[in-house]
Order: sequence, then structure tokens, then C-alpha cells
Amino acid sequence: MPANIVKDEVVLKVDHLKTYFDATKGLFAKKQTVKAVDDVSFEIYKGETFGLVGESGCGKSTLGRTIVKIYEPTAGSIEINGRDIAGIKGDELKSFRKDIQYIFQDPYASLDPRMTVGEIIKEPMKIHGIYKTEEEMDARVSQLLRTVGLKPDHIRRYPHEFSGGQRQRISIARTLALDPKFIICDEPISALDVSIQAQIINLLEQIQRELDISYLFIAHDLSMVKHISHRIAVMYLGQIVELGESHEVYTNPMHPYSQALLSAVPVPDPVKGKEKERIMLQGELPSPIDPPSGCPFRTRCPYAMERCAGERPQMKMYGSRQVACFKVEEENS
Amino acid sequence: MENQFDKKLQDIEADDALFEKLEDSEKDSEFIAVEAKTYFQDAWKNFKKNKLATIGLIFICLMLLLAVFGPIFSPYTYDQQDLTSRNALPSLQHPFGTDKFGRDIFVRVMYGARISLSVGFASAFINLIIGVVYGGFCGYFGGKLDMVLMRLVEIIYSVPTLLYVILVMLIFGSNIFSVLLAICISGWVGMARQVRAQVMSLKEQEYALAAKVMGAGDSRILFKHLVVNSIGPIIVTTTHMVPSAIFTESFLAFVGIGISIPQASWGTMASEARGLIMNQPIQMVWPVLAICLTILSLNFIGDGLNEALDPRKRV
Repeated sequence: MPANIVKDEVVLKVDHLKTYFDATKGLFAKKQTVKAVDDVSFEIYKGETFGLVGESGCGKSTLGRTIVKIYEPTAGSIEINGRDIAGIKGDELKSFRKDIQYIFQDPYASLDPRMTVGEIIKEPMKIHGIYKTEEEMDARVSQLLRTVGLKPDHIRRYPHEFSGGQRQRISIARTLALDPKFIICDEPISALDVSIQAQIINLLEQIQRELDISYLFIAHDLSMVKHISHRIAVMYLGQIVELGESHEVYTNPMHPYSQALLSAVPVPDPVKGKEKERIMLQGELPSPIDPPSGCPFRTRCPYAMERCAGERPQMKMYGSRQVACFKVEEENS
Repeated sequence: MENQFDKKLQDIEADDALFEKLEDSEKDSEFIAVEAKTYFQDAWKNFKKNKLATIGLIFICLMLLLAVFGPIFSPYTYDQQDLTSRNALPSLQHPFGTDKFGRDIFVRVMYGARISLSVGFASAFINLIIGVVYGGFCGYFGGKLDMVLMRLVEIIYSVPTLLYVILVMLIFGSNIFSVLLAICISGWVGMARQVRAQVMSLKEQEYALAAKVMGAGDSRILFKHLVVNSIGPIIVTTTHMVPSAIFTESFLAFVGIGISIPQASWGTMASEARGLIMNQPIQMVWPVLAICLTILSLNFIGDGLNEALDPRKRV
């Protein structure tokens, strides 16, 4: 596992971030909003990998995409190196784009099929005017291709000539072209073969060690997240319900949702696997258009109390852990 | 336990006989054997496989050569009358014969090709530019502006083309530019719709989002990524616009609005030959044949391109 996190140097600080989408259908229909990200706060340190887990549709990707401003935040702040980028636009925003990059989930869709590998990797350099001459750019592209384990003579190839793992490495090379300080990895391995997944993860870890980059690692494969992350945040219906050191959360989840999520991780040993008790959740993920009152998890929570319906639990510190749950609050008071 | 394992590992490593040297070629796992090919090289290879489309392309190229150079090398001009040899049948001097004023039909057909092909290609080009910019703009920005602009498109589309033509002719007179203008007023609408639909679906693709994250501006994303990726349907729509413009021009000339005599267009020639259809049917054959073969060829080319540029349609 990569080390050297600089705890007092915060690279990214997200504060009470909200991303709502308008889901009103038709001209005269009742106004509806999807609360995809609802009041999320966390910090990421320099050189750290921050894992973000949760089931499909809980707002993980939306959170990631809001941080890089693919979507506009509805409220809250996104601070990069101490500067809020939530409201900025145009050239001011462009200068921040260099510091923060995004690796997409689908390596088949994230590379423009009509561009050669060289053009793809050069594009960010051209946009930001980093290099003056074509030769300088070519040299940098070759170097980047070698960094990700491809050959410099792949420069004239088209993306469709590569395998999934190779393409994901091309897209990693593209994000590195701008020397970012922070990369959001949006399920970068979920579309890949298991044998290739380890390759990509190792590459990401190696890059982190060499370049001191911080990651926000979005995934639903919990064992992989535990392996790569220093800290983990568990997300449910647009909110973070638990946040703590990766190992602690993994071995001793406190929030009922984290417990259910972790009980679903398969165990390689069949004998141990039988002993393990699986918590089955009742019902479906509620619609973010019409979320439950109070705690978002109460409709599926085995420990739901009256209080849970009335007010929303806030994140509270328990040692190094933050949990938003009234049951945990009562047990620890 | 671990020490034991290490020792065993050393033992294995020491025993060279257990190992086999990897072939040099096997080390190179990232090598790609297929020759690098661009999109258009690939499309050209597929286009050539289509016989009809290739014949069409050859025919159109010949037609273009004849239109550009034919009248220069011909001993006659399009309006040169020779009253001594009126309504002559095809001969060595006049390969297609002469018309009722003794004008050489072959040179008039070549001259007509100039007008028909230039109207066809020019209007397709203008429609291409307007349609791509308008449709791209609507599709990319979307929202209320898009709604207003697309309603405007529907209004333009709902008025019959002939009405525009007659209006334009009234204001600007009968000449080639009026014909061009009349065809283009409503011609770009189809292209705009096509491009808008393409851009709308492509802008949600991850490579477009990736460009945005890199800091690319709207015009770069729109023209370098989205339009370039819709190039297949755009080219196909453009090729189908050419024959329809040629047909419109010929039709207008035939009914007497459009290019004015003595200028020769395939439509005016057919119109003039109509009076003699009982005595000299051969005079009708040449312009009609030229129109038919040109439109047919262009349609074959369009279909060939459609297949060659769309990977899903390849066999």
C-alpha cells in the first residue's frame, strides 16, 4: 500500500455539496427534483487514496462529476488547494482543470474513436498550450506511453485497435499529460477483465508513489477499494453515511448500511464463507426524487426507530470514524 | 514457514534445467500486428467493394471532366446556330445530332452538365455548412433556445419548395443564382435535423465529457469531437442532396422557370425537345439520359458511402 500521506495538506475539500437535477416532465407538470448528491462533506489529503463506495444509483459518479464540474453544483463548495471552484467559469475554471482530472469507467467510450492515440494524449496539452512545438509534444507522449506500459510506436494507432486494459492505460496517460494533483477514478476497473484489473490498480498505485497524486476512487468492488484506499466513505442515496480509515471500516463497520454492504463481500474460503452471516436488505433503493423523511436508510434499516423518521442524523465523530446514525449515537453515549 | 518457502524458491531458481527461455517474440505482448489504417482508408476499401457505387463514381468523374473541359475542346459553342443542318441525326460531326436551330446537342449536354452539376454540388455544399452549424448548435446547447430554433426549422420545412422558388424568381429574376438560393432556402433543414440528432446523442458520450474535463471549449468539443464523429451520416446526407438538387433544377428549367434560354440546362433542353417529340424523339433522349444516369450514379454513390462509412452496415 502506498504511504507518505501529508495529513495537514488538504488537496480537495468538499463542503455541504449538493447536486440537484430538475426532473420535471412536460411543460405543466409538478416540479420535481432529483437529489443526486445531498449535503456531502469530506477532505482528501495529499498523496491519499479516498475510496467511495455504495450501490448503483446512490450518486457516487454524480459526486465525482460535480467535483470536476461536468455538472454544476446546486449548493456548497469545492475547494482545490484552498480555492473554491464551485462558482467559477470560463478561463478561471480552465486553469483549475489542469490540477484535477477524471478517469472514466468505460475505456471503450472515453476515447474519441476518430483520433489516434497520439492526438488523444496531445489534446490536453494543446488545450492548455503547455508545449510550443510538435516535437516536444511527441517526446512527452512517448514518455507518457512508456509510463503506462505501452510502446511509443502506438502513437499512430486508433483506440479500436487496443484491448480494454490497454485503452484504460491510454486514458490514464491522457490524464497524466497535464500533471494533475488530483485524479478522480470513476470505477476505472469495473469494465475490465479480472486479470487486467490488478494491472491497472498496480499502475495507479505506482503513479501515486512516483508523482504524489491523490485519488478519489469510486467503486462498488469493496475488496479492491479496501486494498487501494487509505480511507473509505460509504454513500447511500446521495449522502455519506460512514467515513473512516479503510481497514477499520472494513473490519468493523458501524452504520447498519455499511454492515449490510460489507456482509455481501464474498469470502474466498468456503468454510469461513459459511460461517459468515449475510445481512439481507429489504426492499429497493428509494427514488432520489422522493427520498424518505429523516434518515435516508430508515426504510430498509433493520434497526429503524421512530426518531429516524423525524430528523436526519448528522455525521458524528467516534474516534477516527464519522457515522451518521441515531443507533450508533445512542450506543456510544 | 516463510524461510522454508524462500529456500525452496532459491532451489528452483538454481535449477536452470527447469526453465525455458522465452522466445523474443513472446515478450512483446503489447505488439499490434494489424497495419495501422485511418478511418477513410478503411472506408475507401469498403467503398471499392461495392461495384455499383464504383461505376457511379467513375461516371460522375467522367461527367465532371466533360463538363469542365468538354466545351473548351469542342468546335461548336452552346448557342452557335447552323441553319443549314437543322434537326440532324447523330453523325461524326455532331455525335448527338443537332436541334431545331442547328445547335450541336453534344456540346449543349456538356454545357448543361456544368449548370446541373454546379447547382447540385454548390447547393449541397451550402446546405452542408448551414445544416452542420445550425444543427450542431441546437443539439449541443439544447434547452429553450433549441426548442425555438427547431420550431423555426419546422415552419421553413412546412412551406412547399415550389413556393420559395417562385418567390425568389419574382424578386431576383431567372438565373442560376436564384435557382441556387431557392434550393438552399429549405434544403439545409434536413441536414440540420440529422446533425442535431447525432450531436444530441454523442454529447453524452464519455469522450465528450473527457474533453470537457480537460478544459476544451464548446466549439472544440462540438467541431473536433461531435461533428467529426457524425461525419458518416453527414457525408451520406450530402451525397443524397446533390441528386435532389439536380432534379429540382431540371424540373424548374423544364416547366420554364429557372435558367433562361439560350443557356442550356438539361431541363431546358428536354423542354425544347418536347415540341419535336413526334418527329425527332432522339433529341429528347440525350438530356433525359444525362439526368437519369447522373442522378442514378449519385444515388449509388450515396448508398455505397452509407455502407462504407457505417461499420454496422458492413457485411
